[in-house]
Amino acid sequence: MQAFDVVVIGGGLLGCFAARNLCRWKLDTALLEAREDVCTGVSRANTAIVYPGFDHKPGTLKAEMCVRANAGFETLCRELDVPFHRCGSLMVSFGEKADAVLKKKYENGHSMGVPGLRLLSGEEALRMEPALAAGVTSALYAPTTGTVNPWELGIAACESAAANGAKLCLNTRALAISRTAEGYRIETGREDFICRAVINCSGLYADRVQELLFPSPVHIAPDAADYLILDKAAENKPVHIIQYEPEDGGKGFNAVPTVEGSLLLGPSERDNETDFAVRADGLSFVRARAERVLPGLDPEDTIRSFAAVRPNPQREDGSSIGSFVIENPGPGFWSLIGIKTPGLTCADELGRYVAEKAAAFLHADANEAFDGHRSGIPKAGRMCWERRNAAIQANPDYGEVICCCEDVTKAEVLEAIRRGAVTLDGVKRRTGTGMGRCQGSRCQEKLLALLAQELGVSEAEVTKDGAGSEILGGGRNEN
Amino acid sequence: MKTELLIVGAGAAGMAAALSAWEAGCRDILLADRRGLPGGILPQCLHKGFGLAGYGTELTGPDYAARLAQRLEKTGVRFALGTEVLEIRGDKTAVLSDRRGLTELCFDRLILAAGCREKSIGSLPVAGTRPAGIFTAGQTQEMMNLHGQDPGKEILILGSGDLGMIMARQFTLAGKHVIALVEKDARCGGMARNFHRCIEPYAIPVLYRTTVTQIHGAGRINGVTLRHLDSGREERIPCDTLVTALGLIPERVLVRKLGEPVWLFLAGNCRRVHDLVDSAVAEAEQVGRSAAIRLDKAL
Ligand SMILES: Cc1cc2nc3c(=O)[nH]c(=O)nc-3n(C[C@H](O)[C@H](O)[C@H](O)COP(=O)(O)OP(=O)(O)OC[C@H]3O[C@@H](n4cnc5c(N)ncnc54)[C@H](O)[C@@H]3O)c2cc1C
Ligand SMILES: Cc1cc2nc3c(=O)[nH]c(=O)nc-3n(C[C@H](O)[C@H](O)[C@H](O)COP(=O)(O)OP(=O)(O)OC[C@H]3O[C@@H](n4cnc5c(N)ncnc54)[C@H](O)[C@@H]3O)c2cc1C
Repeated sequence: MQAFDVVVIGGGLLGCFAARNLCRWKLDTALLEAREDVCTGVSRANTAIVYPGFDHKPGTLKAEMCVRANAGFETLCRELDVPFHRCGSLMVSFGEKADAVLKKKYENGHSMGVPGLRLLSGEEALRMEPALAAGVTSALYAPTTGTVNPWELGIAACESAAANGAKLCLNTRALAISRTAEGYRIETGREDFICRAVINCSGLYADRVQELLFPSPVHIAPDAADYLILDKAAENKPVHIIQYEPEDGGKGFNAVPTVEGSLLLGPSERDNETDFAVRADGLSFVRARAERVLPGLDPEDTIRSFAAVRPNPQREDGSSIGSFVIENPGPGFWSLIGIKTPGLTCADELGRYVAEKAAAFLHADANEAFDGHRSGIPKAGRMCWERRNAAIQANPDYGEVICCCEDVTKAEVLEAIRRGAVTLDGVKRRTGTGMGRCQGSRCQEKLLALLAQELGVSEAEVTKDGAGSEILGGGRNEN
Repeated sequence: MKTELLIVGAGAAGMAAALSAWEAGCRDILLADRRGLPGGILPQCLHKGFGLAGYGTELTGPDYAARLAQRLEKTGVRFALGTEVLEIRGDKTAVLSDRRGLTELCFDRLILAAGCREKSIGSLPVAGTRPAGIFTAGQTQEMMNLHGQDPGKEILILGSGDLGMIMARQFTLAGKHVIALVEKDARCGGMARNFHRCIEPYAIPVLYRTTVTQIHGAGRINGVTLRHLDSGREERIPCDTLVTALGLIPERVLVRKLGEPVWLFLAGNCRRVHDLVDSAVAEAEQVGRSAAIRLDKAL
């Protein structure tokens, strides 16, 4: 049994930032994550946009947090040593109805103080972004929109939390929660945790985790969406984030030039389905949207497709909830339920919000020793030649390129494993290996060998993303 | 650092180009390759079938590579193995990385002999999950023949190109079960020679006008959905491994922004995909001879 002041359940973006912010107080904090690594759930698959906030209802917590979070994103990313590109966005329309929607959004954003918003004519938009389709009639330009790699941010927050004393407990799933005289007991099937406060950030399962002890008036009705990724070498990529506001009022669509240099396209609109499985009709939808808005893109440049799952919050009568749901069903117990877009943008804000609640509840003192600075794995591909040469002189492993598509060296891979990567995907999330045009077909065997060597296991035991996803051997699946 | 002729890639094409450039009189040649040994893809091709046109006998890949390497040893061509060429610039400089540091190299001419990469399944509109157990054919060849890694047991192969057929045979000989080769066209994608040698004798099924539309399995792949393109019929086939042989793409990213400067030559699979090593070598020898001559003399 282990005792803590606060236990955070769920190591996604929200849980990692909750844990990090709890370290601002003198609170013994544990972060429980069911899987073998953090950021493998909703935080792994999303649109990666840091929103400016013009989409939300003024005066709501969501709107307030989004505008504030956006303004502070450079500072946050500098502290956590994570690349952030404030590339700006153009929300584009192709007709009168959508023009009117943009105008509304402009006014909405303006009233909230979203900086720099401008309504552009079709010609102005084309001048700014020649990759756009010729028929564009207007655009809402938001210079403060940006993009960040979601899992890079989440992992950074987790490392920062751990450096400030939070205890990360992986492979630890909360299975049962009960009341004690002092607070709560969480059973995990490994060992029990007792604590005075609980912060439930269990993503797609947040309603069910709350229901381990309390009723949940909010339920998650998940639905899925599909995305495509185009190679960084693709021609006619936009420079800005392009958001498409369809004339028929249908689902919007985004094209995001990622911090890695690839282009992310999506999401799709499709019939509900709730797992991380791609649907063919979803891919066709994304392709058709891309062709409509950015006709110069070549589908042949696609290197990957993936699916994401949205945790849509609903009331008991089935109606959907637009605001962020922060439940407080019992003393010292908070649940973030169904936090979807802009949950990435607001991860730090939400984490700070619940941490403040818990700190006030526990009458905690501020932790003067808190140090928010975290250093990322120095990436060879992001260094200038002088620095890269110096890095090799200090550590020859920097001279050995393992992933030639994304320019990742052996030194980075070894450091990723040292920092907690235990799977191929864990290395990928920390270094970028396998994310490029060959999708790991040229570096996987080297990564297998390095993981096996560093983890002290056989290559046959190395997995893609946890038990049951062994890379070698096959023959394990009965169903 | 300076070199007259830089060759990127020490596969069959790079080595052949280096040899012929040397024989044509060029005395300052650097042959760089990221791999630790020369030969490119040849060392992983343990089957016989190389060099019928060039040597009049069928060699294994390693033997073929060794012959080229032996001839190179008698020349003054310098090797830089374990060396990644990171960048090639329009001002005729290149940046090389190895365990000792970065080198900025000035060259007068450059032959890109970087081979090709395999098209990955990510480029296809295939639905379903993204589990472990999906490999490209060349990847399984490297895994099995160079690293002793076992990719799986119940194998479906998507694509019937040469690589797919060669691996179908190797899997079968290694005691694995090749469920079928799945080919979207009405005929085999590779050379007839490989079909007669690798598929027919082992009665490996080839499903023509068929493709994979969906992948199943949470951790490791446990099946795929096949679609028969003419009837539109779909069926789910269990497997624990999916191997893709979807074709080869010339690897030219290093020079994609450079246009076609006179000092840049392409040879081997990065120029166009060669089915036979002899044809890659013959082309590279010509390229080597052209690149041997100083530009001011050639013009
Ligand atoms: C399709 C899509 C697109 C989006 N695009 C954007 C965008 O562009 N910009 C933006 O700002 N936001 C975006 N978002 C929102 C953002 O991605 C989410 O708000 C955020 O990732 C939510 O993180 P999370 O920590 O709640 O969830 P998760 O990442 O799912 O984390 C929950 C974690 O809890 C763990 N867990 C579950 N049950 C238990 C248990 N019983 N015990 C222990 N651990 C448990 C899980 O394993 C998981 O790791 C998008 C969301 C979706 C779905
Ligand atoms: C599986 C397979 C089986 C075959 N079977 C036969 C057969 O039976 N008979 C036959 O005649 N032919 C066969 N072929 C065809 C023939 O072998 C090839 O066409 C030929 O070997 C290609 O040689 P290459 O030098 O162009 O490319 P490669 O052998 O691919 O060499 C390219 C080299 O460039 C290096 N490189 C690339 N980029 C960089 C960089 N940035 N920095 C440093 N180094 C770099 C790579 O590491 C590689 O070593 C086969 C091909 C394959 C793939």
